Amino acid sequence: MISLTDFLLVSAALFCIGLYMIVSKHNAIQILIGIELMLNAANLNLVAFGKYDKLNNGGQMFALFAIVLAAATTAVALAIILNVYKKYKTIDPDRIDKLRD
Amino acid sequence: MNNFLQAIDTLTIKFALTAVLLPLLAFVFNFLLPGRKSKLAGWISTVAILFSAVLSVSVFAKVWNTGHVVHQQVIWFTISNTVVYAGVLLNNLSALMLLLVPVIALPVHIYSTAYMKHDGNLNRYFAYLSLFCFSMLALVVADNLVLFYAFWELVGFSSYLLVGFWFTRDKAVQANKKAFIMNRIGDIGLLTAIIILFTMFHTFDIEKLFGAGNLVSKSTTITAKVILTGHATTYSSSWILFANSGNTALPIIWQYIAFAGIFLAVAAKSAQFPLHTWLPDAMEGPTSVSALIHAATMVAAGVFLLARVYPLFNDTELTILAVIGCFTAFMAASIALTQTDLKRILAYSTISQLGYMVMAMGIGAYTSSLFHLVTHAFFKCLLFLVAGIVIHQMQHIKEDNQLDIDPQNINNMGGLRKKLPFTFIVAIIGGLALIGLPFTSGFLSKDSILIQSFQWTDGRSGVFKLVPIVALLTTWLTAFYVTRLIVKVFFGELRLLHIKPGIKLHLSDGNWQYKLPLAFLVIGCVFSLFSINPFLYEQAWIFKGFAANGGLERENVYHSLVPIGVNILSVLVMYAAYAVYVKRKANPFPQKGVLFNLSFNAWYFDAIYNQIIVKPVLVLSRFAFWFDRRVIDGFVNLLAKAGLTLAKLSAWTDRYIVDGFLHLLVEIVRIISSFFRVFQAGKVQYYLFSMLVIILALFILKIVI
Repeated sequence: MISLTDFLLVSAALFCIGLYMIVSKHNAIQILIGIELMLNAANLNLVAFGKYDKLNNGGQMFALFAIVLAAATTAVALAIILNVYKKYKTIDPDRIDKLRD
Repeated sequence: MNNFLQAIDTLTIKFALTAVLLPLLAFVFNFLLPGRKSKLAGWISTVAILFSAVLSVSVFAKVWNTGHVVHQQVIWFTISNTVVYAGVLLNNLSALMLLLVPVIALPVHIYSTAYMKHDGNLNRYFAYLSLFCFSMLALVVADNLVLFYAFWELVGFSSYLLVGFWFTRDKAVQANKKAFIMNRIGDIGLLTAIIILFTMFHTFDIEKLFGAGNLVSKSTTITAKVILTGHATTYSSSWILFANSGNTALPIIWQYIAFAGIFLAVAAKSAQFPLHTWLPDAMEGPTSVSALIHAATMVAAGVFLLARVYPLFNDTELTILAVIGCFTAFMAASIALTQTDLKRILAYSTISQLGYMVMAMGIGAYTSSLFHLVTHAFFKCLLFLVAGIVIHQMQHIKEDNQLDIDPQNINNMGGLRKKLPFTFIVAIIGGLALIGLPFTSGFLSKDSILIQSFQWTDGRSGVFKLVPIVALLTTWLTAFYVTRLIVKVFFGELRLLHIKPGIKLHLSDGNWQYKLPLAFLVIGCVFSLFSINPFLYEQAWIFKGFAANGGLERENVYHSLVPIGVNILSVLVMYAAYAVYVKRKANPFPQKGVLFNLSFNAWYFDAIYNQIIVKPVLVLSRFAFWFDRRVIDGFVNLLAKAGLTLAKLSAWTDRYIVDGFLHLLVEIVRIISSFFRVFQAGKVQYYLFSMLVIILALFILKIVI
């Protein structure tokens, strides 16, 4: 029997992997993937807790919303990454440090 | 009538002032004259002194024996209630001196134009000479003691300039320094006396102090009764001024201090014992300057001062003057016996004659003293100018033949009468006047002093008889050294020819610039200028000019005996000297023995002064120098070092402690900020990572605590 804890563990593992990717990767696309992983970890949690709201299925609903929004943000993020690449000829966030000044 | 007199007085004053100021004008002109050596300089000074002489003759004619004192003054300065006047005072005394100074200075000026013509600093020479004449002339007519003192100093200063005229010679510098220091000692005395007189009489005016109906003779020294501490009665001597009803009374001692001051001043200027040693050394100046110093200007100033303040002296003081003068006369004459330097012999003879003048003042022969001053001025000036010619010729011989001789040493001379006939004749006349043989002016003045000195001893104790006897002895010494001088220089053969045969000689008396002054001065050496009768000084016109006459009546035997005795012995002494020296043996007398050494070394005065005064002063000044260098400078240096150390310490503190603290702060701030800078690297992931770490840390903290 798959309990809530297992879901939460998987979700936490996903979140951590996403977080690690965000912190460590040298490629903006990979970072974006990390972000997606973290979003999906949150969705997994929403769906897992949705079991306790069988009447409204609030968890699933929120997850769907989040997926849609994630798709939108990903599109925006990819557009940003393209523009960044156009400007800096790289998408390594370590080398894009103009924010410092 | 009064107005008329006033107008004449003003004219006389103007004449006198012009006579005084002309040499000053010449001084200024010569000072501003471009270049160092121009013939014009000599003629400017000569013409100035010539006009001075002419004017002073007219002043003399107006003032002499009119019984009227010309005295005009203007307010000089005022200090609270004291008004000090400056002005011109012309009485018989100043008129006589005013006449004498330019008349003697004139031939010296003419002579100088020739004598100094090869000197490189002719302009300076004549400038100084004119300054010298000006200061002496001004001294003579000054009517108050402050002015008198100023010109007294100026006479000393200008003589200092002239004695050290050849200042590249070490000896000349030493000599003028000596003369100046000796004179300063006298100046202190004069200043002291002036201050005392002013305290006593509240005026500087010479006419009021010493003139007719003067304050000084109204003052008297009395023994006053004073009450001390209420009950004890005691007696104390005071110097009281009667005219002021005794409101100015000083202890009697001040009167003696004033006398001592004046005596010091006279001794310094007129070269009396104990301040006489500068005069022989002053021979380092040009000979024409020596002639002026010895005749009319410098040394006459001392006797003139005595004559000016004569009423001040009481009987004791006059006796002191007589004794000192007599001693000086004898001492200097005895020194002159053995000297070999032509000018030094004449210098010592000047000291000796000045001794006579001071002695004459002391014995009350006031007029005789002045008479001797005048006659002495003529013949001593003449003799110095003769010496100048002789030295000049010897210098020529020395230069023409490149000899290493002293041109002033009389042992090298001789036989010059054939080469310099004119000089020889005037030298003989001048020498006879100095000895005081009949038909010369010296006879009149010297015998008047001698006769009065014998009269002075009448009614005095036996010790005082020494004074005229020593004075008599001195005249014979004078006869001896003058004869020795003349014979050694003019008679026999030129001794240089013995030492170095075959030297070339071309000597001459020189041109009119040499001869004219000599001829002019010779007139003053014979009796006719002063008295119609060559044997009786009592008939000299100069005696009619002064009130303080004594011994004018041929009342006693001295008037006949003294001149006869003196002159017969003088002639004998002269013959003896001639006989001894004309043989031209090198040294007719043994050159050893106590007396010879005493005389040759000028009674060891210089040596004694060196030992007693100069050396201690030098030691003291060396000590002071050492003290200054070591102790005072040392202390100052120590202070400086302490300050330096303190400054270094504070610099160190500033650098390492204050600055160090600030640097430490800066460093801390820098470290902290650079630590935080790391987080602001602009790397997005890093921000995120830091955030994560902090959140984790917070969580861990939360869990642990």
